[in-house]
Amino acid sequence: MPPKAAKGEYIETDTGNKISRRSQIHGTQHIILGGKSIIQADAVIRGDLFRTSSSSASTPDSKSDPKAAAGGAGNSIAITIGRYSYISRSAILRPPSRLHRGVHSYFPLKIGDHVFVGERSVVEAASVGNHVHIGKDAVIGSMAILKEFAYVLDGAVVPAGMVVPSWCVVGGAPARIVGEVGEGYGVEGAEGGMARERYRMVR
Amino acid sequence: MSRPFPYAYISCPCANTPAPDPSRKRRSRESPQKASPEKPRPELQLDDEEDEQTFDPRAPRSNFSLYPPEQLLYCEDCHQIKCPRCITEEILCWYCPNCLFETPSSMVRSEGNRCARNCFNCPACTAPLSVTTLENRGGDQSGPWVLSCGYCMWTTLDIGIKFDKPTNIRAQLAKMTTEPSMPAIHTRQVSKTFGDLKSPLSMYSSIDDQLPPVDGSRPDNEDQPSDTSIPRTRNARFAALKTFYKDQVAATTTSGVDPGDFGASFSSPNTLHRIMSIYTATRITALYGNGNKKARNRPPVMREAVSANEGLALPKPSSETAIIQRMASDDCGWDGLASLEQRAFQSPDARFVEDLLPLPSLLRTKRSKRCKSCKHILVKPEFKPSSTRYRIRLIALSYIPLATMRPLILPPTTSASLPSLSSAAAPNLDALTPQRPIQLLLTLKNHMFDPVRITLATPSVTPGRVASKVTILCPQFDIGANSDVWDEALQSATAPDRSSRTSPYEKVAEAGKVWDKGRNWTTVVLEVVPGSLPGLKLKAYKGVGDDDNDDDDDDSDENEGALDWSGKSKDPAQQIQPDEDVLDIPVFVRMEWNSDSQIDPEEGIGSGKGLGGDSVKRELAYWMVLGVGRIES
Repeated sequence: MPPKAAKGEYIETDTGNKISRRSQIHGTQHIILGGKSIIQADAVIRGDLFRTSSSSASTPDSKSDPKAAAGGAGNSIAITIGRYSYISRSAILRPPSRLHRGVHSYFPLKIGDHVFVGERSVVEAASVGNHVHIGKDAVIGSMAILKEFAYVLDGAVVPAGMVVPSWCVVGGAPARIVGEVGEGYGVEGAEGGMARERYRMVR
Repeated sequence: MSRPFPYAYISCPCANTPAPDPSRKRRSRESPQKASPEKPRPELQLDDEEDEQTFDPRAPRSNFSLYPPEQLLYCEDCHQIKCPRCITEEILCWYCPNCLFETPSSMVRSEGNRCARNCFNCPACTAPLSVTTLENRGGDQSGPWVLSCGYCMWTTLDIGIKFDKPTNIRAQLAKMTTEPSMPAIHTRQVSKTFGDLKSPLSMYSSIDDQLPPVDGSRPDNEDQPSDTSIPRTRNARFAALKTFYKDQVAATTTSGVDPGDFGASFSSPNTLHRIMSIYTATRITALYGNGNKKARNRPPVMREAVSANEGLALPKPSSETAIIQRMASDDCGWDGLASLEQRAFQSPDARFVEDLLPLPSLLRTKRSKRCKSCKHILVKPEFKPSSTRYRIRLIALSYIPLATMRPLILPPTTSASLPSLSSAAAPNLDALTPQRPIQLLLTLKNHMFDPVRITLATPSVTPGRVASKVTILCPQFDIGANSDVWDEALQSATAPDRSSRTSPYEKVAEAGKVWDKGRNWTTVVLEVVPGSLPGLKLKAYKGVGDDDNDDDDDDSDENEGALDWSGKSKDPAQQIQPDEDVLDIPVFVRMEWNSDSQIDPEEGIGSGKGLGGDSVKRELAYWMVLGVGRIES
């Protein structure tokens, strides 16, 4: 149940995204929102950490000043968020990074539809599938892959590079698979299918 | 996973039917033939419930029957809710959770239920390991490779293992751990004359190297050409022991060979002869003793493995002290010892952190689910591990109405019965004020294509020591069918405005009337007066009788702290048990509907309650527990 925000807190885009005025979004030209997604206050979305394409491979220093390179490679996408996804307060979305051929470079972060990211969670995953639930205070390590209907418990630390299969519940630090969600998970209106309801509650 | 308030759990009726119930067995036997009248089932439960007390969400048995609604299935043949205890599972496929590749079932056992590719888990912290090169600056991705953990920074370099190529790591690792004289393992040189009986990675295998061969004086058996090499690893030793004891069993049962003659007992007996003699010779021998021609004077005796060939491994007496000395040494310390959790999946010899080997990822399964009583398939996912679709998925949510709750926020002016100070804000469900009534909107959403008539029943006072008063203002109502969404869109276009969207503030909850109604959902109001906790009983006692909430609230607020303290020091009966302050409301739900049973007409005949040609009256009843909140202490 999200806390009710004051009137005028959210900016609604043409596609129905509701973005808090108090959120911190960097590099907006590198972020794609699918529509009807919600970004709450104090959420940090680092669109400025995008992959500096082949030109930067020769100059790895450009990552230290990504904003300067933003103008050059305007078409590279750092973060994609699908429809009806929900980024809670103080969550941080950062594109994953790794050493690739000796160069520290960023990779795009893809978040699917109906994804919930809990409060104060840090997401550096490579891809987050549809209907994924990430609890509060969770950490998703760099280049992790959360498949559809994965469920990350509160406070879990998903290690870098981990793959969470579909329907699996992970928890703990480091996270390991502790169970599976039921077959009815993700049905509209039930647990895992509250995305539209959440969208409706935010105004 | 505990749920945040408010939640709704559903009790599977299987907990009410005791296991050795003969009627249940009969039913389950008859149900596959579809001859049993399936209608009385819910009514049977109704009768049971009437005999018994109301469902107590805090009873120890309730733990086993309450499930979140999305975990429940529904058997269309039994017309009953099925919980994970009422089903059987069948494995469809095995897959690695890391690489999501399917492992064929023929390989699962040989691979030890673990991924045969490059997927490994860290032996120190269980995080997945990644294959990385040691030469980061090279750029050509060559050079020795290691497995490294991104979580705890453990690498295979810690145990002195490097890989030559980044593929087929498991085979490389198996080779290294079985063959002791691998160049990559620089730490120790193991003599090949007598096999190291343990993994070469175990630090004290050097101790065993000095171990003189057990029964070294004993000559090897000539008639055993297969065992040319002495088993080295644990698995090989186990295999040697297994074959040895198999041979022993075969040798002692087949013939009356003198058991003392070891050489003869090692010869592999003719299989046919053995099988024949199992059914003839031994039985006759057993029955008639010496009646057989191959009479034995004494029963054959199985001996134990005595040599290293047979898989025997004797630790050196000083090895234990060496381990202890190593534990006590400064360079080992507490951190050098492997924890119990780490050792659980390692070789039993692994005592130190240096002994830990990377663990190939355990496989996971996709399973189909069947009803235990009628064997019908309830859930059948797609075979592909990465697919999330289902071929068959009979979940309870598509049959029983989905219950959701939210607190009703009342305007301060219209509520005369409530104290007007803080009722305008939403009540904090994690800290409900005792004796202050709250109202909740209980929405039931129908997912069936038939309209449903719902009857809700709840005890007026919740069971347990914390007696909360519950009133459902409209216990009987209808829910529309889950028809086409377009119908609703057209209806709402014709109707000027729906009552729900006008203004919830102008409405007052009335008894006997539904709060709101939509295409396939209906909302009723639930009024709850949270009870007082036992620690506050002395003061709240007055307030229970008269419903004067203002005074009572003030009293309890003033005396809360003192009473709670004294309650803890005094009588244990006065203390609050864990989760006793959770306000759980048992609600009995009974749903009736007319179903079009054109799919299987024989069921309609069997039910015997067909109203029309193809319409069958059905009913289903179950207990539901609504977790409203936690009472403030």
